[in-house]
Amino acid sequence: MEEQDQMQSSIEVEEVEEQQREGKRLEEENVVRFLDSLDSYVTLLDSLSSTLRQGWLELASARQSMGASRINGALLDLKSHSAATSLQVTHHDDEILNQPHFTLCKWASSKNGYGDEKLRENKLQTNSDGPQLRHRSQFAGTPEKIPETKGAPLIVDDQVQKERTKSLSMFGTLVSPKLRAAQLSFETALETLVEIANVRLTMLSTSDQVRKELEGTEG
Amino acid sequence: MYGFEALTFNVHAGYLEAIVRGHRAGLLTAADYNNLCQCETLDDIKMHLSATEYGPYLQNEPSPLHTTTIVEKCTLKLVEDYKHMLCQATEPLSTFLEYITYGHMIDNVVLIVTGTLHERDVHELLEKCHPLGMFDSIATLAVAQNMRELYRLVLVDTPLAPYFSECITSEDLDDMNIEIMRNTLYKAYLEDFYRFCRKLGGATAEIMSDLLSFEADRRAVNITINSIGTELTRDDRKKLYSNFGLLYPYGHEELAICEDIDQVRGVMEKYPPYQSIFSKLSYGESQMLDKAFYEEEVKRLCLAFEQQFHYGVFFAYMRLREQEIRNLMWISECVAQNQKSRVHDSVVFIF
Repeated sequence: MEEQDQMQSSIEVEEVEEQQREGKRLEEENVVRFLDSLDSYVTLLDSLSSTLRQGWLELASARQSMGASRINGALLDLKSHSAATSLQVTHHDDEILNQPHFTLCKWASSKNGYGDEKLRENKLQTNSDGPQLRHRSQFAGTPEKIPETKGAPLIVDDQVQKERTKSLSMFGTLVSPKLRAAQLSFETALETLVEIANVRLTMLSTSDQVRKELEGTEG
Repeated sequence: MYGFEALTFNVHAGYLEAIVRGHRAGLLTAADYNNLCQCETLDDIKMHLSATEYGPYLQNEPSPLHTTTIVEKCTLKLVEDYKHMLCQATEPLSTFLEYITYGHMIDNVVLIVTGTLHERDVHELLEKCHPLGMFDSIATLAVAQNMRELYRLVLVDTPLAPYFSECITSEDLDDMNIEIMRNTLYKAYLEDFYRFCRKLGGATAEIMSDLLSFEADRRAVNITINSIGTELTRDDRKKLYSNFGLLYPYGHEELAICEDIDQVRGVMEKYPPYQSIFSKLSYGESQMLDKAFYEEEVKRLCLAFEQQFHYGVFFAYMRLREQEIRNLMWISECVAQNQKSRVHDSVVFIF
């Protein structure tokens, strides 16, 4: 009887120790995840800074090449446009990562204007768990995502190239390669910004978890 | 008769040639550029420029300065020099001096038309126009809906009217049509200027033919490179090339079918004067092409001053000042963006 009691208590002690080890492992994992996301965040910030610097210098170089009358703020188009790029926000149902995720929809087709806008408004008004589109575009209007079909990457590339050229057409149709390079730099910077937003969310989420665990340990 | 300009040139243009040679002596030197390239802020640039001929134009500008302010004020110096020479000039020098500004006039017309198409305020657009290209009815450009109206309402009374004969259509103005209009006008202007200089004869014809041919060839290369990957067809591209220059006509035939920068290089390297330009570039690279062309242009413009009794010195001075202003713009941008390591990417020394 005594032996059974001893065995029972030793099993219970082992279970408690196992739980403590598991808890400690989870804590360490969260700390590592936080540090990884912090490292990614700092690296991305540095990358964004250098990309933007490069973009601004390329723009100045294009102005030098094409002339100040061809590249200046007075040529920016004030007519209403369909958005060429939009930001999509999705919510994960994951219990661990219950946070939104940002996705950039670049160079969406802008063929259809008002008709699609009406359709989208109706979709947004319905309560659904699907992705909710939010606009963060430089022009007023509505974006329409290009349906990426597998096996037709060249067609998508052509469409992207056309959208890029259309964007630059406010400065003229025959623009210097330096202006196109500046456009690519700012495009890359936009992608980096969205990555930074996602990494920042992960960083803040893991930071909260680590803080809760520390508070729990101190309590 | 070539060689006898010394007998009569100074009667009408001697004073102005002396004036323009004096202005040339005031262009910034390599020492000035070295000082400017070491500036930390735009106020430092203003301080260094205060000891140059730009000093009086910048001294009253308040801090903080902007790069566009520096360019604007330095351009005023160019405009004042030009206006002084124009008001003192007699024919045919006065017509020659007016020809120099038609390029800016074309740029201003396209700026106003493009800005109006983009629903910008005309007053805002007028502020961005180059002062050398202004004319009385320029603001009326905003009411035109197509090229026919553009010509009928405004341009028929301007020096650009003869250049419009190839552009007049009733098509609405859109980005592509405006671009074709810009390049067609410029082509017609260059050809007209070239014919005018050939008619003048003598040293003016010889020197200006060389300078304008280089300009036409450079334009052909830029049009080719800028149209790669666009909707401009080969035939349309060829129509934009001028009908003179070293590349005319066989170089143009080859440039019209180029699909990338290496093919352009292949065409240009057949012409010895341009071989040296493209030898400075690595394969597939076009970033330094502009600087290489500017350096070659500056060399030719400086050579124009080696000979007397011709009008080419006026053209050369105006272009050298414009290059100097481009240099100042680039240096100011590098200083403002804290990218001084890149300042020598685009600065072209004149002396």
